[in-house]
Amino acid sequence: MRTIGKTALWAFLLAAALLTLFPILVTLLGSFKTNAELTAGATILPTSWQLSNYAEAWRQANFSAYTMNSLFVAAASTIGILLVSSMAAYVADRMTFAGKRLYIGMQAFTMFVAIGAVVLRPQFELMIKLRLQDTLWGVVLILVSAHASAFFILLSFMSGIPRELDEAALIDGCSRGRTFVKIVLPLLAPGLGVCALFAFRGAWNEYLLPFVFTLSKPELQTLTVGLASLKYGVSAASQTHLMMAGACLSIVPILVAYVFANKSFMQMSAGAIKG
Amino acid sequence: MPSFLLTVVLGIYPIGWAMRYMFYDYKGYGAERYIGLDNFARVLRDGEFWQSVVNTFAYAGGKLALSIPLALLLAVLLNRGLRGRHVLRAVFFMPTIISSAVMAVVFFAIFNAYNGVLNQFLLKYKLIGGAVDWLGVDHAMLTVVLVSVWGAVGNYMLLFLAGLQNIPADVYESASLDGANKLQQFRYVTLPMLGPVSQMIVMLAIINALKGYESIMVLTDGGPVGKTNVMFLYVYKLFFPTAGTGAASQVQEIGYGSAVAFVTAVIVGAVTVLYFYGSKQMNRYA
Amino acid sequence: MRMKKQLLLAASGLTLAGSLVACSGQSSEEEQSGAKSGGKTKIVYWTGDRHDSEFIKEQVDAYNRTNADDIEVELVIKGDDFDQALDMSFQTSEAPDVIRVKENTIQTFYKKGFLAPIDAYLTDELKAKFPLMENLNSFDGKRYSLPNYGTTMRLIYNKELFAKAGIAAPPTTLAELVEDAKKITAAGKANGEYGFAQNFKSPGSALGRSARVIAETSGYGGFGYDFKTARYDFAPFKPIIEAFKQMKDDGSMLPGVESLDIDPLRAQFAEGKIGMYLSFSAEAGVYQSQFPAKIEWAAAPAPSIDGSVNGASGFLGGQWLAISSESEHKDAAWKFMAYMYGDQILQQYQEKGFGIAMVPSVSAVAAKPEVYGIDGFLPTARDGVWPVYPAVPVQGAKSDDAFFKYILSGGDLDAIVADLNARYNKALDAAIASGDVKAEPDPDFDPARLAGQYADE
Repeated sequence: MRTIGKTALWAFLLAAALLTLFPILVTLLGSFKTNAELTAGATILPTSWQLSNYAEAWRQANFSAYTMNSLFVAAASTIGILLVSSMAAYVADRMTFAGKRLYIGMQAFTMFVAIGAVVLRPQFELMIKLRLQDTLWGVVLILVSAHASAFFILLSFMSGIPRELDEAALIDGCSRGRTFVKIVLPLLAPGLGVCALFAFRGAWNEYLLPFVFTLSKPELQTLTVGLASLKYGVSAASQTHLMMAGACLSIVPILVAYVFANKSFMQMSAGAIKG
Repeated sequence: MPSFLLTVVLGIYPIGWAMRYMFYDYKGYGAERYIGLDNFARVLRDGEFWQSVVNTFAYAGGKLALSIPLALLLAVLLNRGLRGRHVLRAVFFMPTIISSAVMAVVFFAIFNAYNGVLNQFLLKYKLIGGAVDWLGVDHAMLTVVLVSVWGAVGNYMLLFLAGLQNIPADVYESASLDGANKLQQFRYVTLPMLGPVSQMIVMLAIINALKGYESIMVLTDGGPVGKTNVMFLYVYKLFFPTAGTGAASQVQEIGYGSAVAFVTAVIVGAVTVLYFYGSKQMNRYA
Repeated sequence: MRMKKQLLLAASGLTLAGSLVACSGQSSEEEQSGAKSGGKTKIVYWTGDRHDSEFIKEQVDAYNRTNADDIEVELVIKGDDFDQALDMSFQTSEAPDVIRVKENTIQTFYKKGFLAPIDAYLTDELKAKFPLMENLNSFDGKRYSLPNYGTTMRLIYNKELFAKAGIAAPPTTLAELVEDAKKITAAGKANGEYGFAQNFKSPGSALGRSARVIAETSGYGGFGYDFKTARYDFAPFKPIIEAFKQMKDDGSMLPGVESLDIDPLRAQFAEGKIGMYLSFSAEAGVYQSQFPAKIEWAAAPAPSIDGSVNGASGFLGGQWLAISSESEHKDAAWKFMAYMYGDQILQQYQEKGFGIAMVPSVSAVAAKPEVYGIDGFLPTARDGVWPVYPAVPVQGAKSDDAFFKYILSGGDLDAIVADLNARYNKALDAAIASGDVKAEPDPDFDPARLAGQYADE
């Protein structure tokens, strides 16, 4: 009975994993094909392995330079989103203040609208006023402002943390700030880990904002902007093979970020099992 | 309060700025003519838009019905104990990080009717009689839903996993001491304790499903004949019509697009609020 | 407790404000250093073209090295989002100085006020050399761009599949088109070869390179606009759309054609799986470099509805570069533009196969392009430039989408055409009333007279 259950469990997990991985495998194999072979389909394995795709993608998308810009935007906006949304969630869950409902409503409203491109112009004009229009800080600031989903995720995690814990700390004479940093944040770790991962990924993949903010400053372009330009080569058709090679290269940093974020779940579950 | 400031200044204000156009007839050039509520009257008459709303609900419904249970199941299975769980988690997370433009090419290679991998596989093992047009009129919606589920499960699995970490292990221990089996543990321990987190996850999933359009845009561009046209894609095309080489010149509909965008926001908001109150009621009776 | 909260908030607010100050200071420093670096005049040139990018890069580099006016040109190549990016750049005052304009964007750019007239720079010699084309490079009596090269539209066909199906010559009528597609499919279906395909993932792009040129060759406006009456009338499209539907119903089209993009179509054609399709002269370059064709292929004039040629097969072009209205260095921009319009570069454009010369003095001397299959694309007595029709914001389904829906799932074509006519003309009336477009009847308009200006035979 137990073994049957275990076999079924593994069969299910492996089947799901295979289905999940298959398109990624197609991407990886496709990144080694010629453009004609890739676009025509029909083959699974490349008939000849085009390692040069990677060299070309690296060169054309200016990987070495743009990766740093991307890392900056992703890291800065991740930190910003975590700071802003964790504080906001703490305040919104633990305290009452005038206009709280209105504030939460507004957070939700920003999620309902937002086709990024539509609100870009006023956002850009604001950045001109702040004199941030030619910097990646402008991109970071706008990304941080879009923290509604992190806010709601953390809000729900916050409500799962027993109030008694931080109230006890407050009674013991801890300040609000200390309580937040010493008691609440550690308990929030799994939620923070996921939010950090999502924020990092979102910023890493963001295309429109860095595209617009670097119109006149090509040296500040991020990797996504460089990758998008891979599509257009020396002739009329798309350079799909280079796009795929570029995509395979550009997911590496997110996987690294994932490993770090995964640690935050792992530690907790290890502790939980032992405890 | 930084969050408040950022939300108002960079979130609400730009939306308001863009939304004022909904009372104007504005094509991106020439005069902005104030036309009151005419744009909204046009929304009511706009059959294409309401068809896209219907499509959106079909798409979102399918996506949610498949991805949420699957994500929860995977999260529970991969939460503890199992050897290789870290590798499997990473595997299920992978799809969420690949750009949709690249995925469009890959899924075209898999699903296309002429020489798609899926058809070749199914034909080889005689599972279908003839080539199926997965991106054709009859199946395109199913296909875009499957692709979106593929891209979404990893997200919600991670969120559920994070939520599961908040459940102390001793609760399970005492439950198993009381003789509860795995299924009972799930029903009486996991689900209730996951309550607020899963409520939020589902809410985010609903919003994302209703808003999703990018992967559809690159895979089918809303076609064939509008079968996969969802409401955000419809709005997008009003704002940014593209004229390919040789195609007819296009006219931007900024005024009308803003009005439609507002209506879509109201729809998403209404569904979210409905869900929120509905799930609160459920919590009370659970 | 409340006070502490407020302190916390204030503190975090300060941190944020502090970081803002820090970064804004940084950016202004950057700007200053940028302005100091050299007395060069820097102009930015945006293009959405990719087929000629390598060549353009070389020319721009050469100009930057050699020009005596200390002008430095920065070339920016955009992709599909060119129009959107340009919009954004004007909104944010970061507009380029020199802009590549196309036959279906120049009117919009002109209306949005993006373009500056260039009459002041044109000598009589230049005015005579570059043909003036109303609405294609000139608006309301002023010139905004000059022609360089153009694009022709053709039926592109696989010679080997035609031979295999026993077809002697490419089709000249719709009936032959349907018949040939059927024959090719019958002969090759077992090998996965089909008679016809078009990139119907985007019906606008598919019909804009197929139904359009068939209509134009037959003497009707390619987008349903009748220049004689200044009204929209889609009735002439009926036989064309019926023929497409027939091919679809016959199973003569590549399976999955409704989700086919242009690149997968080209890849299958290069593999020898598609009998014929209609497209632009840029295809020749694609089969030379990107998707090396494994088959013998050629381009032929597009068929007409019944074989009689009463109009001109559209020769698209008439404009190339324009100067931005917001450019602070218009003189420098013109100097660069004059360089790009020099005889040598224009001549190479044709000889390298990027396009077909539209400037008479250039076509007279430029050699034939060195690209396989280009012969069939060169202008004949059939090709000609159509006047520009007024684009209108129609409510409801666009004509291409409505037609494609009929091709796929049938319906009442007469009713579809009547509905399209009603909606397009309503939008046209509204646009005329608001002054967005002008449309006046031209009873003497003769589409047959459009042809023949680019070749004698």
